[in-house]
Amino acid sequence: MMIRENVKEAANSLLHSRQRTFLALLGIIIGIGSFIAMVSVGTIVRNESLSQFKELGTDILTVTKDIQPEPGRDQRRREVEEARFRLDDVLALPSQCPSIQDVAPTSAIYGTMTCEGKRFTSHGLGVTESFFRIFKVPVEDGRSISDLDAYMPFCVISHEKAEEIGSAGISSIVGKEVQFKERVFTVIGVLSEVPRSKMRPREINEGILVPLTTSLRFPLRPEIKTITARVAPESTNQAASEQLVQYFEKKNRTLMVRVQSAEDVMEKMEKQMRLFTLLLGAIGSIALVVGGVGVMNVMLVSVSERKREIGIRRALGAQQSDIQAQFLMESVMLSIVGGTAGMGVGLGAAYSICVFNQWEFFVSLLAVALGVGVSCAVGLFFGFYPARQASKLNPITALRTD
Amino acid sequence: MRLSSTSDESLIRLISIRKSYDLGPVSVEILKDVNLTIQKGEMVSIVGASGCGKSTLMNILGVLDAPTSGRYLLEGQETSHLSDQVLSQIRNRRIGFVFQQFHLLPRLTAVENVQLPLVYRGVPEDQRVALAREMLARVHMSDREKHRPAELSGGQQQRIAIARAIVGRPSILLADEPTGSLDTAVGQDIMNLFLELNRAEAITTIVITHDPGIARRCARQVRMKNGAISGR
Repeated sequence: MMIRENVKEAANSLLHSRQRTFLALLGIIIGIGSFIAMVSVGTIVRNESLSQFKELGTDILTVTKDIQPEPGRDQRRREVEEARFRLDDVLALPSQCPSIQDVAPTSAIYGTMTCEGKRFTSHGLGVTESFFRIFKVPVEDGRSISDLDAYMPFCVISHEKAEEIGSAGISSIVGKEVQFKERVFTVIGVLSEVPRSKMRPREINEGILVPLTTSLRFPLRPEIKTITARVAPESTNQAASEQLVQYFEKKNRTLMVRVQSAEDVMEKMEKQMRLFTLLLGAIGSIALVVGGVGVMNVMLVSVSERKREIGIRRALGAQQSDIQAQFLMESVMLSIVGGTAGMGVGLGAAYSICVFNQWEFFVSLLAVALGVGVSCAVGLFFGFYPARQASKLNPITALRTD
Repeated sequence: MRLSSTSDESLIRLISIRKSYDLGPVSVEILKDVNLTIQKGEMVSIVGASGCGKSTLMNILGVLDAPTSGRYLLEGQETSHLSDQVLSQIRNRRIGFVFQQFHLLPRLTAVENVQLPLVYRGVPEDQRVALAREMLARVHMSDREKHRPAELSGGQQQRIAIARAIVGRPSILLADEPTGSLDTAVGQDIMNLFLELNRAEAITTIVITHDPGIARRCARQVRMKNGAISGR
């Protein structure tokens, strides 16, 4: 009924003591601002990492050797460690397991690459043609590795490596020869840069890629480390995992495999991200509480400065609830105005963080809803005590204060 | 003592009112057995030296304070044991206060100050403004509508305060030393205004004062001494 009068009165009173209002606003702006920024960044980061998965698809399985022998199996560790994936077994997967559509076995290599007398250390991978299909890696220049390049001394290099070589003064690397692992390789292509993700080997962006068959003949006999498989559209990750485990068990009894699906990784990550957002939210909440205490302080000062006004209003017929509503409205207005400005500041901060990290910025509805809700709640919560104090003042004592 | 309710026309009946304050171990008695009846339309002054308990009496009359014992019947209604909400409504609708220090809200203009009692009555703004203007005209302050208290003289402020006190058409106007902060001539003007309102609107007016000159201008004078009524 008296909301309009209270709004008017609150605005009037806040405008009257500008300095105090400004200081209280500042506290709230910082509080809500950091809260919104934290929650926004948390949501954006989460979205960002999930979108990396979505880009590759969630129907991807990673098969690695499990070197932890199962309890009960009395195989010696050494035996387990020495078990290897056989290339022909792996390549036969799509035809043997109906739930597997495509496979990309890879080996890991590390070495020094020399080009025109300059040395670059580099991680590398042995890959097949399917690798580029599954990980969706286009070439920027030249061509990528084909299955017809088996055993050939060809290599493709990552965008980053090409730049590193370029900045060492060697231009147009494609077609040039480099030494790697004591052999001479011809560079047949440069890869485009692709978004980083937990599922993608980082060598795509940072290293050197050679045909898998070539890499298996390197000194020290590198082995197939990881098999990435794409699940057939009509099958499920679960079914495909089971088939994979059975398949390798049949082929080699000492070889134990561990299958991890993109979904598993995603789930784990999502859990982490939720914790991360929660943590950020908690940090933001501290700032919020500090801002809220500021509001309470300002309101308490305001109440004690206006004791006489409270007395006058009570003498003119204001009920305790009217006085309480009046002061509560003031603190709520303070927090809503501060909250709105804080929301702008927070989203602005989140935006700059996104620009700096090259993340995709979006206004998180959660953050906005929280911002509005939380600022109202802060106003009510931290305004309640001062407003109650005001309403409980004895009118006679209040009238006598100067 | 018989404590039955009254059926007569008295606006105010105070029966054996006592008021004491506990100050640590000692209890100070401010009002001792005050009995007073005021009829509708009367113009009464309550006069006495400072410290005789007149302000306490006024607080009780204005239901800002409750007596320690005794009964206060306002228009036949017993006022002790009423809730804060009901007492606030009584102050809002039946009592108009005029204070020595005027007690206008400094942030509000004259017309806004006059509207205040109506705000707590839930009167819509356009009606409030119309009524407030009417009251300002009544106290000859129409040309000061938009002024804030700080821009007005003491006498002008007191006129605004009187307009505020009568805007809700109360049954009682309670004035606590209304001329105490004004010089004599202006004080007489204010007293003239009270008399005029009492005559024209038949508002029961109670003026509390220490000044016998002011007191004499009221038709009835009640003298107080040491917390009791000593003569009327």
